[in-house]
Amino acid sequence: MITFNDVTKRYADGTVAVDDLSLEVPTGEMTVFVGPSGCGKTTSLRMINRMIDPTSGRILLDGVDVTTIDPPTLRRGIGYVIQQAGLFPHRKIVDNIATVPLLLGWEKKKARDRAMELLERVGLDTKMAGRYPFQLSGGQQQRVGVARALAADPPVLLMDEPFSAVDPIVRTSLQDELLRLQAELNKTIVFVTHDIDEAMKLGDRVAVLRVGGRLAQLDTPATLLARPADDFVSEFLGRDRGIRRLSFVSDEGLRLRTDLLVPVSSDVASARASGEEWLAVLDERERPLGWVSTRELPGTGTLADLELAPYGSYVSGRDSLRGALDATLLSPSGNAVAVDASGRAVGVATRRALDEALTEVATATGGAAGDTGTTTKDAGGTAGGTGGTGAPDGGAPNGAGTGGTGGVDG
Amino acid sequence: MDEEPLVRWDWIGRNWPTIQELLADHVVMALVPVLVGLLIALPLGLAGVRWRWLYQPTVGLMNVVYSLPSLAVFIVLIPLTGLATRTTVMIPLTFYAMAVLIPAVVDGLASVPDHVRQSAVAMGFTPLRRLLQVELPIAVPVVLAGLRVATVAGVSLVSVGALVGRGGLGYLFIDGWQRQFYTPIVVGIVLVVLLAGIADLLLILAQRLLTPWSRARGSA
Repeated sequence: MITFNDVTKRYADGTVAVDDLSLEVPTGEMTVFVGPSGCGKTTSLRMINRMIDPTSGRILLDGVDVTTIDPPTLRRGIGYVIQQAGLFPHRKIVDNIATVPLLLGWEKKKARDRAMELLERVGLDTKMAGRYPFQLSGGQQQRVGVARALAADPPVLLMDEPFSAVDPIVRTSLQDELLRLQAELNKTIVFVTHDIDEAMKLGDRVAVLRVGGRLAQLDTPATLLARPADDFVSEFLGRDRGIRRLSFVSDEGLRLRTDLLVPVSSDVASARASGEEWLAVLDERERPLGWVSTRELPGTGTLADLELAPYGSYVSGRDSLRGALDATLLSPSGNAVAVDASGRAVGVATRRALDEALTEVATATGGAAGDTGTTTKDAGGTAGGTGGTGAPDGGAPNGAGTGGTGGVDG
Repeated sequence: MDEEPLVRWDWIGRNWPTIQELLADHVVMALVPVLVGLLIALPLGLAGVRWRWLYQPTVGLMNVVYSLPSLAVFIVLIPLTGLATRTTVMIPLTFYAMAVLIPAVVDGLASVPDHVRQSAVAMGFTPLRRLLQVELPIAVPVVLAGLRVATVAGVSLVSVGALVGRGGLGYLFIDGWQRQFYTPIVVGIVLVVLLAGIADLLLILAQRLLTPWSRARGSA
């Protein structure tokens, strides 16, 4: 665990980078520091491994004040990933990754073996081991950066805007990779970014910092979206936080109908007899093929003869309510097909079922379950942003003070 | 038909041992100052990076030294280090080499990208190890570029030493001019150019071997 106790960093010219910061970074979790430039997030990060020392206050690493540890020793026990990777241009990839083990005095062979193992672990071809950094793409370099940080298996990882210098597609894959690695490794990670979407995607908990180095709110992404502490936080989260919040709501509560699933071999007459307007047609392996409208059925034949309308699906139990909502919008039937991990249809989430689930989410706002409620000052007035069933985006402001629509800077 | 030819090959043949001696002397007087200059420029360059305020005065002083006519320096040095000695010629050449190499060392260290230096710090390099294992190796291409300039300039400048009696191949120029005899002049020019070219080539080769990682390699 990393503990900040009343930490302040004031520079000689009077600038305050970090102002009386107190927070805890729990062991085995990823905590994201996010905020606009000048909010002191990088300064806070660098005080953990003593690249910067605080003016006052203390930072404890598992209870030990970091300023009592000699900086090189401290740093060898903490992985560090920097923007642009910071690879050593004059060393081959394998030697770059083996850097910290060699500093720690490992045998050369052991350090190289470890480096090769990590190269694979971060999803790179071992053929890259003998190349130099300039021969790799930005995304590959950043993977090497992550491998290098993990080389000596440090319990703590500091990541300073590691993915902000690569293009959006590569960034997404690096983020997914980090989440996959973290699920295996359970490191204590402090991740700094200015990108709120990245923070929400990666963080077990997210610390929103405001300019001048003050902590605005530290919470789980779901709680941040449901109950932002103040105008600054809700502004920073952006205008569509109601919709985004659905990403953190599981689809468990969604009532599924199985009677709307029909095999492609069914005949037209039985489809007509169902009395439903739309039916989801499945192939012989129970995978969805599309929707059929019972209003436009021909006289005879099976469903296989018909042209089907497109469908949207989501993975039940894995995708969130947002995935289900998204799937309903991909089909003229207005319903979403729920599939299992192997792609087999398990039911249909009708728009009505979704409506019920959304209503529940909106009602739960202000007391969402599963939160580690901390600095929430404003529990009311957030419903305006969650009106997923009514007003279209940008509709009339329904008087909610913290609603994301058209707010001006506070 | 008696006109003096540009090159009398028989003269070269008869004087070959002397030419060899002059060549060897020239090589020593050209290279030693560059090596000594590099050895002095490294710590001074490091100091210039470490204590920024030191850098400008150092470079300024070196430029003043560089602007002094070499002949004047030779003459001033004669009472101290003797007429026609290698030392008299090599001392100013060392300063000229330093004038090129100190900025090269400083620029070389400045060429280390900030994120690379930061990550070295963050991984737990001690300052000395960081310098030796990260910063200096990355500075090598820029330092070598400076070394090439200093070496070629050194090879050419040695000749001036002939005016104070010790100029390596430069002796051939004086000799030829005094006797209105072209052959030694041509031989001298060819050998000096050849020497400079070979030295430069060797340094380029060294650069390829030492810095296979350099991006500039493809475009250089």
